Amino acid sequence: MIEIKGLAKSFAYDKKEAKKKKNRETIDPREGDGVLHAVRDVSFSCDKGKVLGLLGPNGAGKTTTLRMLSTALEPTKGEILINGHDVTKEPRYAQKLIGFLSGKTGLYHRLTVRENVEYFGRMHGLSRLVMDERIDKIFSMLDMHTFAGKRADDLSTGMMQRASIARAVIHDPKVLVFDEPTTGLDVISAKTVLDFIESYKGSEMAVIFSTHHLHEVERLCDDVCLIDLGETKFFGNTREFAAQTPSGNLYDAFLHNVDNKEIEVA
Amino acid sequence: MWLVYKKELLEILRDKKTLIFSILLPTIIFPVLFFGIGKFTQSKTEEAETKELKIAFINGDTFEGLTDLFTAEKYFKKVTIESSDYKNEILDDNVDFIIEVPETASMPSSSTKQEMINLYFKGSSKLDNISSKRVKDIIELYNNTQRLALGEKFNLTTDNVKAFNTPISIENKNFASERERMGEFAGPLIAYILIALAVSGAMYPALELGVGEKERGTLETLLLTPMSKGRIVLAKFAVIFTASFFTVIVTLLSYFIWTYIFTMGGKMGGLDFLSNISGLDLLLVAVLLVPLTSIFASIMLSASIYAKNMKEAQAYMSPIFMLGFMPVIVAFVPGMELDVKTAMIPITNVALAMKDLIKGTVDYGMIGVLLASTVVIAGGLLYFTTQFFKKEKVLFRS
Repeated sequence: MIEIKGLAKSFAYDKKEAKKKKNRETIDPREGDGVLHAVRDVSFSCDKGKVLGLLGPNGAGKTTTLRMLSTALEPTKGEILINGHDVTKEPRYAQKLIGFLSGKTGLYHRLTVRENVEYFGRMHGLSRLVMDERIDKIFSMLDMHTFAGKRADDLSTGMMQRASIARAVIHDPKVLVFDEPTTGLDVISAKTVLDFIESYKGSEMAVIFSTHHLHEVERLCDDVCLIDLGETKFFGNTREFAAQTPSGNLYDAFLHNVDNKEIEVA
Repeated sequence: MWLVYKKELLEILRDKKTLIFSILLPTIIFPVLFFGIGKFTQSKTEEAETKELKIAFINGDTFEGLTDLFTAEKYFKKVTIESSDYKNEILDDNVDFIIEVPETASMPSSSTKQEMINLYFKGSSKLDNISSKRVKDIIELYNNTQRLALGEKFNLTTDNVKAFNTPISIENKNFASERERMGEFAGPLIAYILIALAVSGAMYPALELGVGEKERGTLETLLLTPMSKGRIVLAKFAVIFTASFFTVIVTLLSYFIWTYIFTMGGKMGGLDFLSNISGLDLLLVAVLLVPLTSIFASIMLSASIYAKNMKEAQAYMSPIFMLGFMPVIVAFVPGMELDVKTAMIPITNVALAMKDLIKGTVDYGMIGVLLASTVVIAGGLLYFTTQFFKKEKVLFRS
C-alpha cells in the first residue's frame, strides 16, 4: 500500500525568472516570494490490486508529485509511505519497490531490448537466475521474444512501449507508477499499455496512473485523485467522482473540480 | 558503478560518431598531417623548382652575360613580349618574369655607381616565392661575377672582394640537437593535436551521457534505481574519461607506428627527430593527459547535465572548446617557459610540458609540480560535477 500525506514541493525561481515574476501581480496561489509552490497539499492512497487515476490540468503538479513518489525529487513537506516505510527516509527501499513508466520510453537506443531490461534488472540487484526467469515470464506475457535481440532504435512504437513496460517491472515492483504513458502513442500501442495495467488489477501491485484521457480512467481506475493548483481537490472512488455532477460523467466531474480554468495576470 | 560504466561504454562503442572521432580520426591524423602534408608540400616545392619559367628582358644586352646565365639554365625559357604593358603581359600568363635594365644603365663591372634593374612578376604564394628566388639567385650569381670583375679592376683578390663584401662572416655552431630544433616547431603542433583530440574525444560521450539521457527520458529512469547519484555520475565521468583518453592513446600509438613506417631506411629525411623521442617521454605525455582529460570530462559532463536539450548543450560546448584552447595558445607565445609559476596554470602547463618533452628539454621536477596542481584542479572539478549532479534544479531544469 502507498500513502501520501500533505505532500508539498517548492522550487526557487532562478534570478531572471524571479525578477520577471516580481514585476507582475498574479492571482496564482502557487507563486510567491521568488518561489513556485508546485505542489502545496496533496494526499491520496492506493491499496495493492487497485488502480488509482491521478488527474489534473497541465501544470497542476501531477508529474512533480510522481517524481517525489519515485524519489527523484525530495518533498518540501509531507510524507510518502510505502508499506509503512517513509520514502524520503528510506529511498533505497522505495526504489526497489517502485516501477516507473512515462510517455518517454526510457530505453537505451543502442542496446537490444534484452540488454535494456537486463541492465535495469541488474541495477535492482537481481541475480542471473532470477532475472532469466523474470525476463522469460515478462517477455512471454508481452509477446516480446521475437524482438528481444533487436536494438531499441530498430523497434516500432508499440514494441518500444512493451520493452519499456518490461523494463519497468523487471524487478517485480509493488508500486507501479505510470506518468501519462499513452501520450503520443497510436491506438494500438496505447491499448498495449492499458491492457497491461488492467492485467495488474487484483494483483499484489498498486498502480498509480496519471493521464489526461478520461476514458482510460473510466476503464481502469478504481479510485481517482484530482490535483489542481498543487492541491488535492478530490480523492475517492471513481463512481463517487463521476456522481458529483448531474450528468454523472467524468468530464463534467473533472471541470466541476478544477478552479484554474484560467489564471490570468491581474 | 561498474555496471553503469560497462553499459555506458558499450553504448558509446556502438555509436559510429564516437568511433570515428576516437579511433579513425586519431589513426589518420598523424600520417595526414606529418607525412601526407609533408609529402604534398615536398612535391609542390619540387614542382615549383622545376617549373619552366618564361622570362623576358628589356635592354638585357646592356648587362652583358646576364641573359646567357638564364638561357643556360634548363628550366628558364627566354621569351619576347610585344607590348609595354608589363602587368597585363604577366597577368595574361605570356611571361612569368620581366627583367628591365634602364636605358641609362651601364655594365656594372665598368660602372662607378651601383646599377639597378626592375624585376616584374606576380608573387602571392609561397610557390611564387620559390620561383622568384630562382630568378634572384641567378641575378646574385651575376652580381658575384661583376663583383669579382670590379675587384680585378682595383687589383683586389677574390678574398679581398669577399672581405670587402662581407667583413665578418658567421659560421653557425649550434649546439641544439635536431630534436630540439625540430621539436620547437613540432612540439606545439603535437601538443595542440593531442589536447584537441582529448577535448573532442570527451565531447561526444559527454553530450550522450548527460543531456542525451535527459532527452531520451532514460536519466529519470536511471535515477529511480537503487544506484546512488554519486555513483552514477562517477560512472559517467569514467566513461567520458576513458573515451577521451583512449582517443589520445590511439593517437600516440598511431604516431609511433607511422613514424616507424615512414622513417625506416631514412626514406623521409627530416623526420628522424621523431624517433628520438624516448618511450619515457611519450609515457609522460600520456600521463600529463590524465588530469587534463579529467578536467575537460568534468566540465563537459557538468555542462551537458545542466543543459535542457542537445541544442543548448552544443551551444555550451563551443565556448568550452575555445576557452580550453586559449591556455594552449598562450603556452606557445614566444618566451613562455615551464617554471613554477606557469606550472600552476591549468592546460597551459600541460601544453608547455608536452612541448618540452617533445623537444627533449623538459625539467622533470616541473612535471611533478604541474601534475600536483592539475590533479588538485581535476579533483576539485570532479567533486563539483558530482555535487552538481545531485541538484534537483539541474537534473530537472525546465
